[in-house]
Amino acid sequence: MNGIFAYLACYSLWPQASGGDSLMGKTDKSISDFRQVALEHLDALFGFAMVLTRNRTEAEDLVQETYLRAARAFGRLVPDSNLKSWLFAIMRNIWLNQLRHEQSGPQFVEIDAEDESRWQWLDQTASDPHAVLMQKVEREQVRSAIERLPVRYREVIVLRDIEGFSYQQIAGILQCPAGTVMSRLGRAREQLRSLLVRWQAGTVTK
Amino acid sequence: MTNTCDQIRIQMGLYLDDELRNGERDEFEAHLQSCTACHEVWEQECRFLERVRAAEPLYVASSQLRERIERNISTSSEPITASHNLRNRIQEALRPSYSPEFHPHLPRLVALTAVLLAVAFAGFWLFSMRSKPDRGLQISGPSDFALMAVDTHLRRLRGQLPLEFISDSPELISSWFAGKVSFSLKLPNYQESSRQEKLYRLEGARLVALKNDYAAYVAYKMKQSPITLVVTANSVALPSGGEEIVSKGLKFHYDSINGLKVITWSDRGLTYALVSDLEERGQQSCLVCHAGTKDRDFIEGLKITSINR
Ligand SMILES: [Zn+2]
Repeated sequence: MNGIFAYLACYSLWPQASGGDSLMGKTDKSISDFRQVALEHLDALFGFAMVLTRNRTEAEDLVQETYLRAARAFGRLVPDSNLKSWLFAIMRNIWLNQLRHEQSGPQFVEIDAEDESRWQWLDQTASDPHAVLMQKVEREQVRSAIERLPVRYREVIVLRDIEGFSYQQIAGILQCPAGTVMSRLGRAREQLRSLLVRWQAGTVTK
Repeated sequence: MTNTCDQIRIQMGLYLDDELRNGERDEFEAHLQSCTACHEVWEQECRFLERVRAAEPLYVASSQLRERIERNISTSSEPITASHNLRNRIQEALRPSYSPEFHPHLPRLVALTAVLLAVAFAGFWLFSMRSKPDRGLQISGPSDFALMAVDTHLRRLRGQLPLEFISDSPELISSWFAGKVSFSLKLPNYQESSRQEKLYRLEGARLVALKNDYAAYVAYKMKQSPITLVVTANSVALPSGGEEIVSKGLKFHYDSINGLKVITWSDRGLTYALVSDLEERGQQSCLVCHAGTKDRDFIEGLKITSINR
């Protein structure tokens, strides 16, 4: 069943492709274009996979599966507008299907408990005087804060603020109305900001 | 804070994300020029977003992953052919429900019909999984795993799946898989153990992606015919569909897909798919390899079951 839904999700244009030639008849050039262009998005896709799974091995497998499906579907289901958002949409569909497959249903895990290991590096690095390191700390802090958000918040933050997709593109990737993107993004940023403020207050008063 | 300020604060995110229309944007910017309170909020928001955006890239893919993907993309070429395959596969899956008055020239109707049929099929499939009778005689479509194995076999035939490890030793191939797949695979050595004349030979192995995991791919060759064995864990795929043949407590699922014979079965935590283009029916293609071995009675069991059907 998951397989069938995966086909529907990833290849939802397929029946039209057999009816008209608007999506067919792609030349060899566009296929070699795919190889060239698709790899440019590897880091971005891996980042999104990490954001979804928070596990390096799972993320790598997710990326590989995404490229496999995209390569197979390319030539018939060509993203007219944006190859990158097309790849992101494929990845999220695969991930959703895997979640469903785990039978326990989607696990939108809220992390409320304090994670000791995350605090440790804050203590270690906050005392270092070097500006370069501070920049690194800053980035680490933002990344850790994003990782602590619920998945529905962290994915929308990453799609907008890290990857720069438009609301419309994000709505396409998440399969939800653009209005939902807007409101969810607002709440996500609010939570991210309060988390960062709390951490900063914590290190300052140390 | 005035009403306008409220409105401006609501639009703040939209403005920063460049999602306001021209007129709205002009009004927004005009207000920002004239209202210090809103200007202050805007500056804070900008600093916050800059800080978040400076964290890009959040993660960097490892060079191993990059190499693997590059290899995968270059081996999965000929997407036009692959797309025909895929279409055949889906059509195969949908075939039982297709009606003769099907109009291929109405793309939207086709799309709708296909979606409805797929949902109906998926429902049927789920039902058949949940309430599978012990001696099921119904023949349903091939499983995803069987389709994936056929796809793998075809890609191998087209030269798109170079072997990662070349060896004709079952022991060496088994140990090559150790640590690469999430399960332990021990290939049998029928020919050695039975001193059987060499009917088939091992060619090598590689990993193939399957769902969230790698499956083990083992290439055999008999005379000039390639034989594909794909192995994964029970937790990743289970055999289903096709014609069911039970022997010695194992249930074999026999499918014919695009002229290829596929047998899938599950044993001790692993799920197997064997693909070949041999003329013989599924169980007889086992016999071809296992003739004269102690597996003979096992194969005989298959034949008897088959005659009884
Ligand atoms: Zn104002």
